[in-house]
Amino acid sequence: MSAPTTGNRQAGAQRAGAQRAGALDLDKLFAARLHAARVRPYLATALFALHTVESRQVPTMAVDRHWRCYVSPGFVDRTPVEELAGVWVHEVSHLLRDHHGRGDRVARERGLTGPGERLRMNIAADCEINDDAYGEGLVRPEGALTPEYLGLDPGELMEDYLRQFRLGPLTQELVWLDCGSGADGLEREWDLGPDGAHGLTAQEQDAVRFRVAQGINGRPGSTPAGWRRWAEEAFHPPQPWRELLGAAVRSAASGAGAGEDYSYARPSRRSAALPGAVLPSLRRRPPRVCVVIDTSGSVSDDELGSALLEVAAIARAVGGRSDMVSVVPCDAAARIVHPLCSGEGIPLLGGGGTDLRTGFAKALGTGPRPDVIVVLTDGQTAWPARRPPCRTVVGLFHRNRGSRWSEDDPDYVPDSPPAWARVVTIGSPGAR
Amino acid sequence: MPSHTPFPATSAPAQLDVAERLLALLRDTTTEPRPDDQLEALTLAVAADLPVLLWGEPGIGKTAALTQLAENLDLPLTTVIASVHEPSDFSGLPVVGDDPAEQGVPMAPPDWAVRLVRAGRGLLFLDELSTAPPAVQAALLRLVLERRIGSLRLPSGVRIVAAANPRGSAADGWELSPPLANRFVHLQWTHDHDVVLRGLGGTWPRATLPRLDAGRLPAAVDHARRAVCGLLTTRPALVHRLPSTETRRGGAWPSPRSWDMTIRLLAFAHAAGSSREVLSMLVRGTVGDGPGLELLAALDRMDLPDPEELLADPAGADLPERGDRRQATLDGVVAAVRKRPDRSRWDAAWAVLVRALETGAPDLVVVPATTLAALRQEDWDVPEAIERLAGVVALSRRADLSQERAAARTGDPVGAGR
Repeated sequence: MSAPTTGNRQAGAQRAGAQRAGALDLDKLFAARLHAARVRPYLATALFALHTVESRQVPTMAVDRHWRCYVSPGFVDRTPVEELAGVWVHEVSHLLRDHHGRGDRVARERGLTGPGERLRMNIAADCEINDDAYGEGLVRPEGALTPEYLGLDPGELMEDYLRQFRLGPLTQELVWLDCGSGADGLEREWDLGPDGAHGLTAQEQDAVRFRVAQGINGRPGSTPAGWRRWAEEAFHPPQPWRELLGAAVRSAASGAGAGEDYSYARPSRRSAALPGAVLPSLRRRPPRVCVVIDTSGSVSDDELGSALLEVAAIARAVGGRSDMVSVVPCDAAARIVHPLCSGEGIPLLGGGGTDLRTGFAKALGTGPRPDVIVVLTDGQTAWPARRPPCRTVVGLFHRNRGSRWSEDDPDYVPDSPPAWARVVTIGSPGAR
Repeated sequence: MPSHTPFPATSAPAQLDVAERLLALLRDTTTEPRPDDQLEALTLAVAADLPVLLWGEPGIGKTAALTQLAENLDLPLTTVIASVHEPSDFSGLPVVGDDPAEQGVPMAPPDWAVRLVRAGRGLLFLDELSTAPPAVQAALLRLVLERRIGSLRLPSGVRIVAAANPRGSAADGWELSPPLANRFVHLQWTHDHDVVLRGLGGTWPRATLPRLDAGRLPAAVDHARRAVCGLLTTRPALVHRLPSTETRRGGAWPSPRSWDMTIRLLAFAHAAGSSREVLSMLVRGTVGDGPGLELLAALDRMDLPDPEELLADPAGADLPERGDRRQATLDGVVAAVRKRPDRSRWDAAWAVLVRALETGAPDLVVVPATTLAALRQEDWDVPEAIERLAGVVALSRRADLSQERAAARTGDPVGAGR
């Protein structure tokens, strides 16, 4: 649980010390859990899967990576039920969002060590949760830490927040903050550890996450955006778009009729050693790649530049010569086809609306027909009604538009380009 | 010997002997039995005679694990680097004889295949699968599925394991075509820090063949078939679903073939008494993450206590410890009463709820109790047991009040978060 941002937390801790004799008020705690499960039904499975452990070492409530929830009796005593409900949701969010695993990964990647860094992770994780955890029947617990308190924008991920603040005067009050090893991956002295009773195995944790994600995906209506994004990506973390685009272009450029593959058209280099055997030989037919670029006002130059460079690099890697890669800038009307070798300065004219059909027509109608058409667009366009006579890869720039949902089909792609194209979403938020 | 050598007293061959001794010492590693989930999953899939595909970054020890496995299973290991071979190495080299029209053109198999067939048993390791050109992959389809190389057929004692680097690390790799991907059990191979440390220190984990319990075989087959058929009855969409998004290409996806493989793996895991972790890796690696997790959830439900048994003996009811599973069990009991309502079953259900209240958290009982109360018919008296559920009513009311207070507080737009 996040700490109060003012000094009253310390006073609270002292009060808790005075109440040491009091036992844990389980009824109050469970009434709060019931409240939480009623207002956030999609989290009920996860809330009920938590195993409660009374602990006097925990400042408030804390979780470990085995889904145990440590509770301070004093904290339960001094906190109203409706705020405890918020704390329940907060703690279970740490576990569902795998903050300990992600914390470990970030620590390894960025070389962050020491308790100070783990505190920063806890703070960043709290920011990720608290920006949309409360409201709609759930009270924000007193002093819950929000990104706004640190002067940051809401709606980002822990990894992003972690880059944006340092421990300093503003976080001085937060050294009390402690959501346990479930939030930041650092073992605490009160942790029962992997061998303790009632822990969930990794597979059981996955099963709980899966059920929660299914519940959200099935009924996304009233779910906050942060949870919807989580549910979408819980078991399909976004891959870096460069790799996906590379794989798509490579696969398109190497399919039958183009690229490097075996052919009986020329004798194999092994033929001399094996008289009598008929062998295919490795033969390369460099693919012609045509890049149609949506230059309408809605796509930024930066996005276009990075995607275009990527396509050119991949085309080179699959054996295309640079004169085999051409570019068609296209808005409402396709202009002229540029060979890529004519230098970096392709004028990306345009702005306004888009009609990619003219781009396709231009790409197919000029010179030798391309083997692959790569379209870079934000998708707000008309598409050709028929499948073009070559492979098509669409690099779709990510836009936050109101997406529709389908309960039965987790593969559902909102407002998608036609089915005959392979679609790679470029620059989606989680893709790093 | 050159004059600048610092060891004038010894001769070169002697130095090489010393080097050899040092190498021998370095090679001298031992193994220990150690629970290693991914190794167990691999061993189980190999035992079930399903082709396995190991996905892992280069240098992570896939080949070492395979060498180990072959040694422990006492199978000769044949490694074939798929990417440096030509399609004809797998489909057979057409050799034109004296009278092709009369005798046909035989497809000559490569020497490693001949040796493998002659040995009758072995572990065939197809390395670098993802960097093989499409035509080579196509030729491999037949090898993996039909176990044919040219005119040879691999004997049943030969097991096939392949390895591939993930798209991210194979700079110019091809992706696996969906038909080829569907024939494999995909296992993600990662390194476990402790295992690596211990191994570099000289002790590697040992893979042992899972001990299949001969007495459980029919039950294992029945269990596996029931689990898969039960899931596919309620979720027909999961029977066949080609991967449609870019991120899932080249991986496992559900099809009748991969579900059939799943049944085999389930039966093997059940007979071997493998843990859920191992089963999870195998199932998700065969039909993909989503369908795999759904199957595991269905298995979880199958493992819950039978509502009818609980109703038959409420006092001795053994309810699951974990809250979410316990609530699922109680919901099942109430659903069973709703399905076939009668007085005695209704009473028994109350007794089960009391039992749940006495042995665990009270908030789990609230929803089942409310539902059960609604099932009451006019001529049924309220059972005594309800008295003992008074605490649940109080708890529910407390949560109601708390919700009201929260609603009052969050109704204020300032405190409403977002």
